[in-house]
Amino acid sequence: MTKIKGPTIRERIHPVIIRVTHWINALALLLMITSGIRIYNASPFLNDYKIPPLFQFGGLAGARQWHFFAMWVFFINGFVWFFYNLFTRHGRETTMFRARDIGGVSPMILYYLRIRKVHPPTKKYNSLQKLAYSSTPVLGFGALLTGISIYWPVQFSWVTAIFGGYDSARVFHFVFMSLFVFFILGHLLMVAIAGWNNFLSIFTGTIKVPAPEPEPTEQPAQL
Amino acid sequence: MRTMKKLEDSLYKPAQESGITESGIVIRRRDILRLAPLALLAACDISPEGKTETFLRKVQGFNDWVQGTIFGPHKLAPEYAISEMTPESGFRVNTDSPHDLNLDPKTWALEVGGLVQKPGRYSLDQIKAFPKRVMNTRHVCVEGWSMVPRWGGATLNDFLNAVGADKNAKYVYVASGDGYYTTYDMASARHPQTLLCYEAYDKPLTLDHGAPLRIVIPTKLGYKNAKWLTNVFVTNEKTSGYWEDQGYDWFAGI
Repeated sequence: MTKIKGPTIRERIHPVIIRVTHWINALALLLMITSGIRIYNASPFLNDYKIPPLFQFGGLAGARQWHFFAMWVFFINGFVWFFYNLFTRHGRETTMFRARDIGGVSPMILYYLRIRKVHPPTKKYNSLQKLAYSSTPVLGFGALLTGISIYWPVQFSWVTAIFGGYDSARVFHFVFMSLFVFFILGHLLMVAIAGWNNFLSIFTGTIKVPAPEPEPTEQPAQL
Repeated sequence: MRTMKKLEDSLYKPAQESGITESGIVIRRRDILRLAPLALLAACDISPEGKTETFLRKVQGFNDWVQGTIFGPHKLAPEYAISEMTPESGFRVNTDSPHDLNLDPKTWALEVGGLVQKPGRYSLDQIKAFPKRVMNTRHVCVEGWSMVPRWGGATLNDFLNAVGADKNAKYVYVASGDGYYTTYDMASARHPQTLLCYEAYDKPLTLDHGAPLRIVIPTKLGYKNAKWLTNVFVTNEKTSGYWEDQGYDWFAGI
């Protein structure tokens, strides 16, 4: 983004818990997706197409070991993030998409499409960002349920049945993974556009903003 | 080499302590030699090495415990109608019968030992004398593919009762004519759908599918379904297994 002219102050936008869960999530999701791709490649269903793997994990057994370790980290960490945002004022105000955010969605889309010139006024996140971030727990639950469907198709056969049986639950699990990849690509693109100052905030928790106009000092009464 | 030693130990132990025939031990020694390159491959192939490997194995042990906890001894795997089952033409063979399979169908008998009242050799006819259970259950491969064949056989539970297996024993160890071996937790072994299977699609098993006798255990992943069964051994000792030694999970519940 454009450089801020004039004096700046640092505004605290990311509490420690958000920064910590963000980076744990980044690592866990990277492990989940890459090991998941290795597992998919053992028996691909997209016309036998194998996805070029990022990591090898020492074969299917190693990939499964990583996948079934990272799942605990991913879901416990995800629940912490979700409950923090659900049950704290900061989370509800800044991150959770609510009914009153609906009106803000289309101005943001118009702005991103360069139809609207002025950035609509926002707090930490705009309505579109809130919508994106609030959708991640939905994706998480989808990945969890489809994951259970294919990990335990006997013990949780009723969950597997929701997704149309074992083979189709596998496809649904893949779809939720793809949606996460889609989210990550969009997220990285926006981070790149927003620039260095914003990027640093997920480490430091603070972001530089223009200093507020100094309060006009009262003129001494003229005698 | 460390891995190979481990593999050697786990292959030896049950045989030595079980009193499985002398020839049984000889088979295993030969199998160890045959498995040696595989064991080495497994050791190099698992990219989590050293401490990471130990750590991930511990997590795997924890996941096995979770699976054992959620396992319902009476929860049945879904059984499918004939119209939903995989046609016989799609009855997939993942492991072809090895050329040096140590098993002669003419003299074959199931060697039973360990914590049982009636150890000994049991013929196929004796196993066929138990009530036959026929079921169309899903075979889920660890690779991700699945199929629903039609299986038929005696339940392992009936058989264990007949040979007087110790009700308090914890595990059932099995070995195969191709060097495969594994153990099952007793609850899974006694599950009503765990079969000593001698039929598929209402016909005797073919050699590629594990004739004359195999384990079918639809509550576990495909690699726990032992083919070319030669030994059943009731024990309190948890052993490793052929695929477990290569990094796969022991409980393998689904």
